[in-house]
Amino acid sequence: MKADKDEKRLLRYTYLLCIVCFLNLTILKQPLDAGALIMAAVTCVLIGYSYFILRRYYPDGDKHIFLFASVLSVIGIVMIYRLDMAASIKQVIWFAISVTGFILTVVILPDLKRFNRLKYVYLVGAIIFMGMATVIGTEINGSKNWVVMGSIHFQPSEFGKLFFVAYLAATLKDYNNDFRKLIQPAVVVMVCLGFMVLQKDLGSALIFFGISVTMLYMATSKVKYVLACAGLFAAGSFVSYQIFDHVRLRFMIWQNPWPYANNQSYQVVQSMYSIASGGLTGTGLGLGHPEYVPVNTSDFIFSAICEELGILTGFAIIILYFLLFYRCMRAAFYVEDDFSRLLAVGFSSMIACQAIVIIGGVMNMIPLTGITMPLVSYGGSSMLITFLALGIIQKISEEGR
Amino acid sequence: MNDITKNIKTVMIVFLVFFIGVISYLTYFEMIVGPQIVANGGNKRVWVQRNDVLRGTIYDRDMRALTKSIKVSSDVQKREYTYGPLFAHALGYLDVKYGITGLERKYDDQLISSNIQDTITNFIKYKGKLPEKVGNSVITTLDYQVQKKAYDALGSNRGAVVVLNPKTGEILAMVSKPSFDPNSLEEDWASINSNKGKPLINRATAGLYPPGSTFKVITASSAIENISGIMERTFQDNGKIVFNQNESLSNYNGEVLGNITFKQAFVHSSNVAFGTLGMELGNSKLKDMAEKYNFNKDTPSDGVTIENSRFPSYNFYEKGNIAQSAIGQSEVLATPMEMALAASTIANDGVMMRPYLVSQVVKSSGETVKTIGSESIRQVISTSTAATLKSFMRAVVTEGTGTGAAIPGIQVCGKTGTADHQDADMGSTPHAWFIGFAPYENPQVAVAVIVEEGGQGGGVAARIAAQVMQAALSK
Repeated sequence: MKADKDEKRLLRYTYLLCIVCFLNLTILKQPLDAGALIMAAVTCVLIGYSYFILRRYYPDGDKHIFLFASVLSVIGIVMIYRLDMAASIKQVIWFAISVTGFILTVVILPDLKRFNRLKYVYLVGAIIFMGMATVIGTEINGSKNWVVMGSIHFQPSEFGKLFFVAYLAATLKDYNNDFRKLIQPAVVVMVCLGFMVLQKDLGSALIFFGISVTMLYMATSKVKYVLACAGLFAAGSFVSYQIFDHVRLRFMIWQNPWPYANNQSYQVVQSMYSIASGGLTGTGLGLGHPEYVPVNTSDFIFSAICEELGILTGFAIIILYFLLFYRCMRAAFYVEDDFSRLLAVGFSSMIACQAIVIIGGVMNMIPLTGITMPLVSYGGSSMLITFLALGIIQKISEEGR
Repeated sequence: MNDITKNIKTVMIVFLVFFIGVISYLTYFEMIVGPQIVANGGNKRVWVQRNDVLRGTIYDRDMRALTKSIKVSSDVQKREYTYGPLFAHALGYLDVKYGITGLERKYDDQLISSNIQDTITNFIKYKGKLPEKVGNSVITTLDYQVQKKAYDALGSNRGAVVVLNPKTGEILAMVSKPSFDPNSLEEDWASINSNKGKPLINRATAGLYPPGSTFKVITASSAIENISGIMERTFQDNGKIVFNQNESLSNYNGEVLGNITFKQAFVHSSNVAFGTLGMELGNSKLKDMAEKYNFNKDTPSDGVTIENSRFPSYNFYEKGNIAQSAIGQSEVLATPMEMALAASTIANDGVMMRPYLVSQVVKSSGETVKTIGSESIRQVISTSTAATLKSFMRAVVTEGTGTGAAIPGIQVCGKTGTADHQDADMGSTPHAWFIGFAPYENPQVAVAVIVEEGGQGGGVAARIAAQVMQAALSK
């Protein structure tokens, strides 16, 4: 089969990328760094084995989703290894856990149609996870969206996302041109956005808005609702601008970061220097200075990649996100069930929105909001959630065939 | 949900547009924003690059080292300025915390570039053990003796001195006072910034002052080239021109010069005669000439940044302002560098030379990387006009307002200026100016001196100019 061949070729290129990058990292150090080669081997085996399982037992599903996700993860692991070796080892472990989660989702999850009745479970889950950090959150990097339990740090809103999308899918599938059916989800969305603003997590607020509008449009086919949402969002933004200092600060930095380069806008200014210093092809892995960029393994990993691997790699990453988004939407296209379809659209737009918001943010194209870059950034919860979402889409893609 | 196909397509297109938007912005950022910010002082990468190479030395024209770089540790260098405050404005300073200015900034690329070929040769020569990379050195046109003389002569006054070679445009000295010690920025920063005299400003190239009567060389240039029979004209100077009940123009100290020729008007600096000439010439002719002398224009230069001097536009009925502008008052503003160029243009038969601060860039091994030669900017006035003005300026020093600039045995030419100003934080004593050149027959040096609140131009400014020119000519 031709499709099979294409997939295998893509897989081989992924191995090649992984090996070449880690070889490069190996020879950067004196004496040679054998650890990098081990990382390459582990990553390649993980990807290869998972692909094998998918192809062997679930040949009907869309294996491109997994392949594109792997390429992005490889770029992330390589870059994190160059920036912070210990973090990279953790990231590979998380990658293993996430890929396992992905496979388990595909294996264990029964037909998704049965889950469409659990609307209120999703509702409660979404509200709990979204609200959790408001009550017991800790402020890290300027956002109060982290929960610290012993030695475990996690962002509950990441898990909230899954419930949020599931809830919207379960509710909106019942839409029958009756406006009143939209009131309940509208209230839930507003509450969630409110929590995000209170936690100073404006990036997540923007993403939830993007997801909601996309799903709303899919369910209702009505542009006027989308416009109404945009209007409400504008009004909400204006009100939060008036009320909250942190919203005003973000906006001020976005307009002109230079006067505050040494304090409030330090991060984004360093990120801009980093991207600008890389040029078209970058300085080369290990030869730039992304260490001047704060939180360079998570929020600002895109700047570090652009500096060392060039904006060409930056372009490649953006295109990969779009391809991933395209394959996910394709799953929505073929599936019959409304709930599954909305779920697929919701998760696809979640990943796409997150990528756009953070890439736009680190270039100061839009106000910078601290969120992770899906699959590439360092962070266990983010990677696990993304792979779980992709696992569900993978499942949906099988149903469609 | 019947329009699935359509809806999915719409959503895909909308997201595609977003993704293309992000890619386009990234391209725009890299092409437009990027180049502007990479060299920004806040970008630590540039400092890393600077530290990688031992910074080259800056020399004066006699190969006297003006700077020295020492490696403190593997990634920290210290820049020492041998003569401290003496060359502070000409050379600028380099400091991780306070940035990079002056010549250090202009020639940063050269001072930190070490030749790749040398690096490879050294690599073979020293069998793989790389010696330290040393940046190129810069040989300036500055002359230590002249600089020192100008610096000392200004003493504790606020002001500036610019010394040029009129034939080439070489900057022999450039002093701005008050100065500061670039070796101890860290300790002195607070006091430097609280000093009302603003020591960080390079007054020589960025100080904008009313040029006062020194501007009469430009008004005279315009008069000679535009008014026929000007040399035979006589002016009735009764000490004052009255425009209306509010506005009038008087000679310095209310002097009445009587019936005088054009030359006498120049030599004795008659405001009445030049105000009258200004009104006769009109704003456009005065402005044309001023712009030929580079007012309102970027001055081509190398190694220095020169602030644009300004000459205003007036309507024909603004008689008072036009007359004032002809004697270098109202809204006319000039840098000391501009006035030094004006003097040097007249000395150089009407040709203005591009001012430059660096004559050569050499490798650490001594090989020349590049040589910067003299270039003319333009013929500002005709040779005969220049000859006339030269004789006028000679007479200023022999019998007019500038006798204080005379040097025994050397034929000095010049023009004095006593400029009223309206700086709120200064007193009402006028600024003292002197521009000139020497010797009369074959000018070797041109100079502009301004002493803030120095009183009459024929006094302190003329005396400083004489000392500086003597130092330059004694070589």
